[in-house]
Amino acid sequence: MSAGDLRAALEAELGTDAVRDTDEATRATGVALLAQPPSGDGVSAVLRLLGERGATALIRGQGTQDLLGNTMDSVDVLLSTMALRGVDELDRQDGVVHVGAGTTLGEVAAAARPEGWELPLGAPAESSVGGALSIAAVGPRHLGQGPPRDCVLGLEFVLGSSERTRCGGRVVKNVTGFDLAKLYTGSFGCLGVIESGWLRLQPAPEVATQRVAMVAPEQDPVGLAIAVSRRPSTRCCVLLDDALAREVGAAAGEAGPDEVLMLVEFAGSAPGVEDDVRWLADASTVRELATDAVDALATLQQRGETAVRARLALLPSNCRPAVGKLREAGAECIVYPGVGLVYALWPKPSDAAVAVKAVTDAAVRFRADARFERLPFEHRQRLDVFGVGVDLRAAVERMRALKQRFDPAGVLNPGRFMGRL
Amino acid sequence: MDSLVASLKDIVGSEYCLARDEELFVYECDGLTLEGTRPLAVVLPDTAEQVQSVVVACREAGVPFVPRGAGTGLSGGAHAVPGSVLIECSRMTRILEVNVTDRIAVVQPGLVNAALSTAVAPHGLFYAPDPSSQQACTIGGNVAENSGGPHTLKYGTTTQHVLALEMVEPDGARVRYGSPTGFAEGFDLVGAIVGSEGTLGIVTEVTVRLSPIPEATETLLVVFPDVPSACRAVGQVIQTGLVPAALEIVDQRTIAAVEDSVYAAGLPRDAGAILIAELDGAACALPPEVATIRELSESCGATRFQVAANEQERSDFWRARKGAFGAMGRLAPDLYVHDAVVPRAKLPEILAAVCEIGDRYGLRLSNVFHAGDGNLHPNISFDRRDPDELERVMKAGREILETCVRAGGVITGEHGVGIEKRDFMKLVYEDQDLLPMLHLREAFDPQGVCNPGKVIPQTRFCVESNPHARGYDRVTFE
Repeated sequence: MSAGDLRAALEAELGTDAVRDTDEATRATGVALLAQPPSGDGVSAVLRLLGERGATALIRGQGTQDLLGNTMDSVDVLLSTMALRGVDELDRQDGVVHVGAGTTLGEVAAAARPEGWELPLGAPAESSVGGALSIAAVGPRHLGQGPPRDCVLGLEFVLGSSERTRCGGRVVKNVTGFDLAKLYTGSFGCLGVIESGWLRLQPAPEVATQRVAMVAPEQDPVGLAIAVSRRPSTRCCVLLDDALAREVGAAAGEAGPDEVLMLVEFAGSAPGVEDDVRWLADASTVRELATDAVDALATLQQRGETAVRARLALLPSNCRPAVGKLREAGAECIVYPGVGLVYALWPKPSDAAVAVKAVTDAAVRFRADARFERLPFEHRQRLDVFGVGVDLRAAVERMRALKQRFDPAGVLNPGRFMGRL
Repeated sequence: MDSLVASLKDIVGSEYCLARDEELFVYECDGLTLEGTRPLAVVLPDTAEQVQSVVVACREAGVPFVPRGAGTGLSGGAHAVPGSVLIECSRMTRILEVNVTDRIAVVQPGLVNAALSTAVAPHGLFYAPDPSSQQACTIGGNVAENSGGPHTLKYGTTTQHVLALEMVEPDGARVRYGSPTGFAEGFDLVGAIVGSEGTLGIVTEVTVRLSPIPEATETLLVVFPDVPSACRAVGQVIQTGLVPAALEIVDQRTIAAVEDSVYAAGLPRDAGAILIAELDGAACALPPEVATIRELSESCGATRFQVAANEQERSDFWRARKGAFGAMGRLAPDLYVHDAVVPRAKLPEILAAVCEIGDRYGLRLSNVFHAGDGNLHPNISFDRRDPDELERVMKAGREILETCVRAGGVITGEHGVGIEKRDFMKLVYEDQDLLPMLHLREAFDPQGVCNPGKVIPQTRFCVESNPHARGYDRVTFE
């Protein structure tokens, strides 16, 4: 089927307003044609049409993560969820909200905040809900917010085979059938398209405050950060190399040799936060931050310009030696010892080979779950960027079995996720 | 089938393969006693290797198999199907690893839930999911059912605490999914397996997250004139943004049963309802939270407010709450424990409707429930030997579920679907919503040999259970 025929068929289904050429912002995806269905029925129609014609789609929200994932096979249509937008219902008594997939996190937060609630998703405010859930985006406040899957109560989900379905619901506790929302969250749009969903909000804290401290190697930065992370009101605790600290506006003066900056956010009831602030002041020399460096870090972490960015998940006790090895290989690091997450960054494309070796070695040696979130194209062509250095054949085999059933025609995000599904 | 039984005895030893009628009798049902099917055999393996060999033997013989933990489940998830082998994991009780530094433990599936918290308490840690049956139920069973408990409100259900699994898949492969880091790459297969009621495979090892024992805990007992007042107080607490560890309501009929039983804790018999609230965290943070709950409770009509003065009082409060189901054994020979969830703001009106349904059918209905989660447990005490009463119990049960679903709720919050609610799934879901559940099931078990007939309503499954066994044949389902 020619591109022209496909476009005509899509226009016949959705109307001409919902189908157009990709523009400057979306062309970087390498796809020429964009379809933006205005409803779940529209998404279903597009998927049915593509399946019947053997065509493929790249699912896209706000496009904040266009570079995430493996290089893909040729894709025919960029399927945007941005018309599925809006906060449909916010139950202020129950602390739950129903939103369209294209709604941005900022829009949900703006609706929730006046009612005393927060959306516990860590992606930058401009990210779409559907996108953040599809990639299970992890932000700096992961320690306090928990993983994205925990805030998903129910989803309206269009299967790759085009059936519109629903799982879960609006209540906060539910074992009515299999927990498909867990399967869909973080599935990178390989099984279907999130249309909308019920999300659980968290109470907005009475008080939130940020502190920074310079920590010298002899003070055991990782050990101190783990201890800080285990205080009751700690919502974020991260170690940053000096250059990164300056980038997010958290630098605490001149860094000494090998010193790192510890950025901490406490949130909760006033007495609890005050108690933890006092505890930290006793443990280290700290300074209060007037700006929101944690939000800045959320953006840097997901959208910062760097040639190579790897994410390694470790047991907290393995953070110290793993970070040591990564720094020896020239990486700048963002380290969350409390949750065992390390982001290793190499600024130059020419560092890629060294980075691949260092991350692979660290993943094997320290049993990390590792992925490359940025990597030059030629390396992404050769390497599966997910599950670096470990044998995940059993999981990939089961993922393939699922993919075959949910998306039998292979319409969605071909090759993008782990195992090049 | 004699040859299969012989093979099973070779695998687990004769002592741990039960195949005589008198041995099988106690295995014909789990906590759902209204129905039952006697299995072909029961095996009690001791190792993952034995589980794997049993599964392979069953496959080769063309016999379905059903995993079982302690058999405390209330929805029939561990009921045998005719001609099946029950694989009971209750001998696999070892704690394989406790990593205090990283706060994780690796355990076998037959470990009793409460035993894990007891074992790690000296390290200042505990395992958070605490079903009321935690003195008997197993971690493997909790994984199958995604069990909750009174402290779900703050700590979440089992799925929030399981990091990785080893399992024997229905084709006999022994695999590992997930990661102790909590960030496994790929689809969240562990998230899909937890709560799948043993239909995707048999879990042989579980890596769980341990939580720190809070610095301080305050347990409150608040007396209300009636259940709706207590529900209103719960709604107000939730709305303020407080996240107590638990918010549990016990109604007057349950109080009476508890006070007449070995679980008696000195609860006020004249109370219309009591609210047990628990707060935990930093010691300095709790006094204002206690004051807030007191203020909100009194504004909703609370007549008495008691803070547990010591560990003994705290333990008494919880003994009364967790012993409630056992205490109801005094009221009638049978107890039907329902398990529905509604939006929390709708608790007062739904509780009123539930009580009206019970009254209309002339049933002894009592309520003890996880109010903070909107998770109702209407309990109906009855005598199954009375066919008329049994029929009224079933009809009232269905009406209760329909009422909850109409209010935006669901038919189970923690007990699972099993066989009990399989045919009620369509109250919540349309046919197309069940399609991805079938896809998930078939991706793991295309032949449908692992715990068949559970969770997903399918016409062909209906003939697999025996409706004559326990009186279901006298009950009309829509």
